[in-house]
Amino acid sequence: MRRAFFLLLALLAVPAAANATGVAFIIDSGASAISIVDMATLHEIRRIPALREPHHLVLSPDGKSLLVGDTAGNEMLFLDPATGAVQKRITMADPYQLGFSPDAKFFTVAGLARNQIDVYDAATMKLIKRFPVKTTPSHIAYAPDSGTVFVSLQDSDRLVAIDLRKMEIKWNEPVGKTPAGVLWLNGKVLVADMGTDYVAQVDPADGRVLAHITTGQGAHNLFLSPDRKILWVNNRAGGTTASLDPTTLKVIRTYTIPGGPDDIDFAPDGKLWITRRWAAKVAVLDPATGSYQTIDVGRSPHGLWLNPRAPAPAK
Amino acid sequence: MDDPFGLAAGWVQENLLIPVLYQFGLMGWEDIAFGWALFAVYGAVQVGLTFALCLPLEHWRPVERWPSQQAVWVDAIYTVISRVGVLPLVTFVLFYRTQVAVNGYLADQGWVPPTLEGFFPFLLGRQVLTFVLYAIILDFADYWRHRISHQFRWWWALHSLHHAQRQMTFWSDDRNHILDDTIAFLWFGVIALLIGVPPLQFPLLVLVLRFIESLSHANVRLSFGWLGERLLISPRFHRAHHGILAAGQTSCNYGAVFPWWDMLLGTADFSRDFPPTGDPSGEEALATGSYWEQQWAGLRRFGRALAAR
Repeated sequence: MRRAFFLLLALLAVPAAANATGVAFIIDSGASAISIVDMATLHEIRRIPALREPHHLVLSPDGKSLLVGDTAGNEMLFLDPATGAVQKRITMADPYQLGFSPDAKFFTVAGLARNQIDVYDAATMKLIKRFPVKTTPSHIAYAPDSGTVFVSLQDSDRLVAIDLRKMEIKWNEPVGKTPAGVLWLNGKVLVADMGTDYVAQVDPADGRVLAHITTGQGAHNLFLSPDRKILWVNNRAGGTTASLDPTTLKVIRTYTIPGGPDDIDFAPDGKLWITRRWAAKVAVLDPATGSYQTIDVGRSPHGLWLNPRAPAPAK
Repeated sequence: MDDPFGLAAGWVQENLLIPVLYQFGLMGWEDIAFGWALFAVYGAVQVGLTFALCLPLEHWRPVERWPSQQAVWVDAIYTVISRVGVLPLVTFVLFYRTQVAVNGYLADQGWVPPTLEGFFPFLLGRQVLTFVLYAIILDFADYWRHRISHQFRWWWALHSLHHAQRQMTFWSDDRNHILDDTIAFLWFGVIALLIGVPPLQFPLLVLVLRFIESLSHANVRLSFGWLGERLLISPRFHRAHHGILAAGQTSCNYGAVFPWWDMLLGTADFSRDFPPTGDPSGEEALATGSYWEQQWAGLRRFGRALAAR
């Protein structure tokens, strides 16, 4: 829902051009750059240099900026979501994973290297509170009412829930080996346990694991399609992407996507764009046929974001 | 265009490392593993290229010919350990994590660690130029580390292992005592933290610089000419540093890649032509022992130097 909401905002914020073809922003963590890809030709148009090691990105609630966190550079880049022009850079400690709350009040940053979760005021970007946590906070999801943010603690096999109204930790519970991606779905929290072959279904009230859903070796990250009809799970070790029914949580189909599948975004034509971390490529998967096209990008592509309404990119 | 090094590292990651990490419940290390795979692939290519280019040179115009090359093969072990094996892993894990943690702490205090790109924003996106500038700064820092390692008796006791080789070849660049390597790592780490060096952004250029360092140790009668030797360190220039008369606490030609620091600071000696190498003051095990005998002999010499203070 959050992704769809922000996408809608982006569409409203970016004036549609007559010759719009759209651009994709792919973060090349290992090349310290952001690749801009023409969505029509599937070719990289240019690269925006980052300072050291960017990983993830998120659109601002007003749709006017695309925020890119540079972890080792301790910088947050603000890009024009249509052109990629750098709007500003601000100093920020270890911005690894980023997320705005659905009510756009909070901006949470998981500092994976520094074992900290920082909650900022989204309007001013002032730090409200830092939560030192063990160990390696990696992925973020909010409850729909913006009252709680859930963060996986990758190296301690736990999930932490932070009450954003009281600004205190509600619970911190074990959820399985090496938890990574987190998603709120139908009143529960799903956590992809990368050290296993399953996604854990967690009770948001107390952190109890309610069920295990087998998806593939190294379940890493999970995404809900914009129409909310398919849950997608990338399995890092198995090199697969699984589609699941979001209601029954049954696997519908498994696709082979080698090269460490990681993040996903959804194109208007129904295709999935998937970063392949170890292959320096993005896969554009057609779920109907199971075949995929590849786009060459920089080393270790990680976060990605599609802006299908952006003007045709300048060559 | 596909980067063959990245593809090779990706293959190693997907087919060799990830199955092991997954099997043993170590998937939290997968990012680090990929970093190591990249270092290891570049290291293996470094070793292969150096071997392919330097070996013909050494056969073409050797400074010396030896009846047995047993001592040389020990140096080859040092090279593989240093460039492909454990050291890149340790370097990557320690350096990367330390850099992120320290810089993040400093950023929290409102102080952004300086970077060249911060001082000169036009460097952003100009990777070759940026790297060359970083390489010059690091080479200057390494000049001082090397020069100081000859000044202190305890440090020279460790560093003398590097100088003990009488059969110096392109393999000898990585022939170091592990404590000497550790100090060099810390030295490099502190400097790199201060100026924000991002080594993985420039792997190809690191490969070139390491090749120059290996070539400078080669057993080849090769000079770059009057001008060339003043731009880049040649085998002739660096051999003077390894000459038996230069071994010890008073030496010359400390530079690793660029001779400029020696020229500026009065330690350059362009007059010596391919002297015999080695350290006559060191025990034989340092020169011709096995890997572990060399390490142990270096440690003993280090202990004696400390006791004599």
